[in-house]
Amino acid sequence: MNTIIEPFRIKSVEPIYFNTEAERALIVEKAFYNPFLIHSTDVMIDLLTDSGTSAMSSNQWAGMMQGDESYAGSPSFFRFEKTIQEITGFPLVIPTHQGRAAEKILFSILGGKGKYFVSNTLFDTTRANIEFSGAEGVDLICEEGKHPSIPAPFKGNMDTTLLKKFIEEKGTANIPLCIITVTNNSGGGQPVSMQNIKEVRAICTEYKIPLFIDACRFAENSYFIKLREEGYADKSVREIAKELFSYADGCTMSAKKDAFANIGGFLAMRNEDLAQHCRNLLIMTEGFPTYGGLAGRDLEAIAIGLNEVLDEHYLQYRIRSIEYLSNKLIAAGVPVMQPAGGHAVYLDAKEFLAHIPVDQYPGQALVAALYVHGGIRSVEIGSLMFGKYDEHKKLIPAQLELVRLAIPRRVYTQSHIDYVAEVIIEVFNKRDEIKGLTITEEPPMLRHFTAKLKPIESK
Amino acid sequence: MKNIKHSWAEPYKIKMVELLKMTTPAQRKKAMQDAGYNTFLLKSEDVYIDLLTDSGTSAMSDRQWAGMMMGDEAYAGSRNFYHLESVVKDIYGYKYLIPTHQGRGAENILSKILIKKGDIIPGNMYFTTTRLHQELAGGKFEDIIIDEAHDPENDFPFKGNIDLNKLDKLIKKYGAKRIPYVSMATSVNMAGGQPISMKNLKELRAFTKKHGIRVIHDMTRVAENAYFIQQKEKGYKDKTIREIVKEINSYTDGATMSAKKDALVNIGGFLAVNDWDVFEEARNMVVVYEGLHTYGGLAGRDMEAMAIGIGESVNDDHIKARVGQVIYLGEKMLEYNVPIVTPIGGHGIFVDAKKFLPHISQDQFPAQTLAAEVYLDAGIRTMERGVVSAGRKANGENYYPKLELVRFTIPRRVYTQAHMDVIAESVARVYERRNKIKGMKMIYEPKYLRFFQAKFEKL
Repeated sequence: MNTIIEPFRIKSVEPIYFNTEAERALIVEKAFYNPFLIHSTDVMIDLLTDSGTSAMSSNQWAGMMQGDESYAGSPSFFRFEKTIQEITGFPLVIPTHQGRAAEKILFSILGGKGKYFVSNTLFDTTRANIEFSGAEGVDLICEEGKHPSIPAPFKGNMDTTLLKKFIEEKGTANIPLCIITVTNNSGGGQPVSMQNIKEVRAICTEYKIPLFIDACRFAENSYFIKLREEGYADKSVREIAKELFSYADGCTMSAKKDAFANIGGFLAMRNEDLAQHCRNLLIMTEGFPTYGGLAGRDLEAIAIGLNEVLDEHYLQYRIRSIEYLSNKLIAAGVPVMQPAGGHAVYLDAKEFLAHIPVDQYPGQALVAALYVHGGIRSVEIGSLMFGKYDEHKKLIPAQLELVRLAIPRRVYTQSHIDYVAEVIIEVFNKRDEIKGLTITEEPPMLRHFTAKLKPIESK
Repeated sequence: MKNIKHSWAEPYKIKMVELLKMTTPAQRKKAMQDAGYNTFLLKSEDVYIDLLTDSGTSAMSDRQWAGMMMGDEAYAGSRNFYHLESVVKDIYGYKYLIPTHQGRGAENILSKILIKKGDIIPGNMYFTTTRLHQELAGGKFEDIIIDEAHDPENDFPFKGNIDLNKLDKLIKKYGAKRIPYVSMATSVNMAGGQPISMKNLKELRAFTKKHGIRVIHDMTRVAENAYFIQQKEKGYKDKTIREIVKEINSYTDGATMSAKKDALVNIGGFLAVNDWDVFEEARNMVVVYEGLHTYGGLAGRDMEAMAIGIGESVNDDHIKARVGQVIYLGEKMLEYNVPIVTPIGGHGIFVDAKKFLPHISQDQFPAQTLAAEVYLDAGIRTMERGVVSAGRKANGENYYPKLELVRFTIPRRVYTQAHMDVIAESVARVYERRNKIKGMKMIYEPKYLRFFQAKFEKL
């Protein structure tokens, strides 16, 4: 059989509320053309993020009922700890309420003014947390990663030549950490190869720089390694993941992605001193080290989810369903990032809306258009999210102008995806009608979450 | 006709149980040693009756669990957020809401917004995480609680009251401009769960208004505080808990809340203010630390459970049973002549370790010692609230609080009257042999909030 089926059947449903294009035109205006400000019940298909939006399994819900809510020493924590130790090989496990909390703790300890954190590509909260500590985040993506439309098997790889050069330039003392994000979200959910991780490890060892994995989508990345990297076809995803982590000194993870959880995250590492330092900070901002700002039931759900995600039938269906959408769009001539990523399809807004200059936020304009036309919520990953201003208040644009359609795990069916493809293709066919946007209000940090925009006035 | 007692019972029946494990004295001895004589470091499965804290340890209702199944896990604009927002406005009266994963998340954000270096923050007795975040933001806490609060045996019904003379002295010393707000807690945990009176709140409001100083409300146990006002304050016996809570809040400008106490949830908190400028700043900050402002580091389901829990918490029958159970335990202990803080507070019994173990000096940690002894007797876990919790001053010296207490905190809707009887009897047994108990020395001391992870050895 050629059809790949979801390795599950539906146990419980949640209704979708339908609205009309006319209603959505008013809604998007009221939301200042920012998808983050639209009410969830006004969205028909919510592809804003794959973070925390997945469907838990019946086993996870059973785990939720077993949650031990003791403040200290809950068995739910010990099950959580044991699972992470087994999967990653890191002995020291610290729960946090979500990924950014883990990042905040790590970067508060390691960061500071004058320091540099190097990465393949840092995602929004990771970068914000680094900068908040006073340090600078540096993206050293490989050459292939800079070309959205040219397929390559491991576009998430780090450029090891640039990495060495950068370390030589700035010096080990000023580089507290190297972070490899798997898969590379900002670069289109693109995987990092095991070979690249080994090479980065070798450089980090040589220059005595610790290496951490941002493990949000480690299972998807491991599956790509199995599919695409020589020598890994016969290894299990579990083995590949364990090998991947073995090259690192630790990891941060948002369990809201690959662990199928609606909330949760953790830090894991080998160094006892660093771990104790992390725990001391954890207590101040998150909670006691055996719950870290999570309910006991969520620790159970995460532990169960981490085991479920390593199932190859699931990963096959997962990767294939993203590819399915991507192929439909490519066939219709829609400019998308290639090859398909592990968790999302990324539209190249610069190409899609070539008539809109970057300082009119073509990505955001496309996001608004997709919502109005079909009730689909997506997110801009471009100059609104990553742009900065120079001393003349002129926009320094991001490297890429993308619109991400992130697919929640185990939530939508093929008919939903067919609908999404149809909407995108229709919008593509009348893209000349779309106008750019201008910002009317923005906060100083992570502006994309709450910024207000409006359409450029027609001449 | 004989005088038949007219007991009241809990206004609920049990829907689901969690099995408890019995331990032997030998097992408990080993467990306590392994935990470094710190009850925080015991494994929950080695604890028979867990009275460590009432934070997040309550039993949710069937309605709350139904709400958990209705979680809208959208990243932005979740239905559950809007439900929570309307409940906070309706029941508590605050205009603007920022959810956070728990109380210290809200304290962190609020402190950073309102406090600048060198500011003075007066309050009715310190609380651990509140004071920590005030200090991290550059502020200095000053205790303005009435003197009676520091006397465990004083029977004044509203020991949570603020001494306005003490506040006046601070204003004269530092000037109102250096006092951004008074931090007022309902009820006062470290004094024994003691309430503040409505009269005192009104006077505080009038006084602070004159000097342009805000009142920020730690409303963690506001419903319990309201119960004491209803029962003991003239003019309030015919008012409902709901009315009293709303009135309390009306004398304040904003609040932080840990919903893990009064609001009957296992995780959750928030920041609520009436001031748009503070709200806007908080909304920008929350994405850095917690999550987007429509989920604040919480799963949608937990916001739903919180909204429902808040409604249940201000029900008169609920609060009567809640505080009634605590009072039942306290009165039983008094029958056995065990020295406790009086009047009995709303969320636990605070045993006076100084009086219990007068032969152990504060430098040998009598409360910590007593907590360990209670665990060894029958497997009941309690929390030290004395010299260890009080921590060190900025100059490194120990605080030596007048109150050296062991807190037997009662989770809401979890234990039965039989459990209360077992607890009272266990404490009575330890009391009988108190002269034979020796003190301890601290062998590991973390820098911040040391009580959570410190380790001890018997002398």
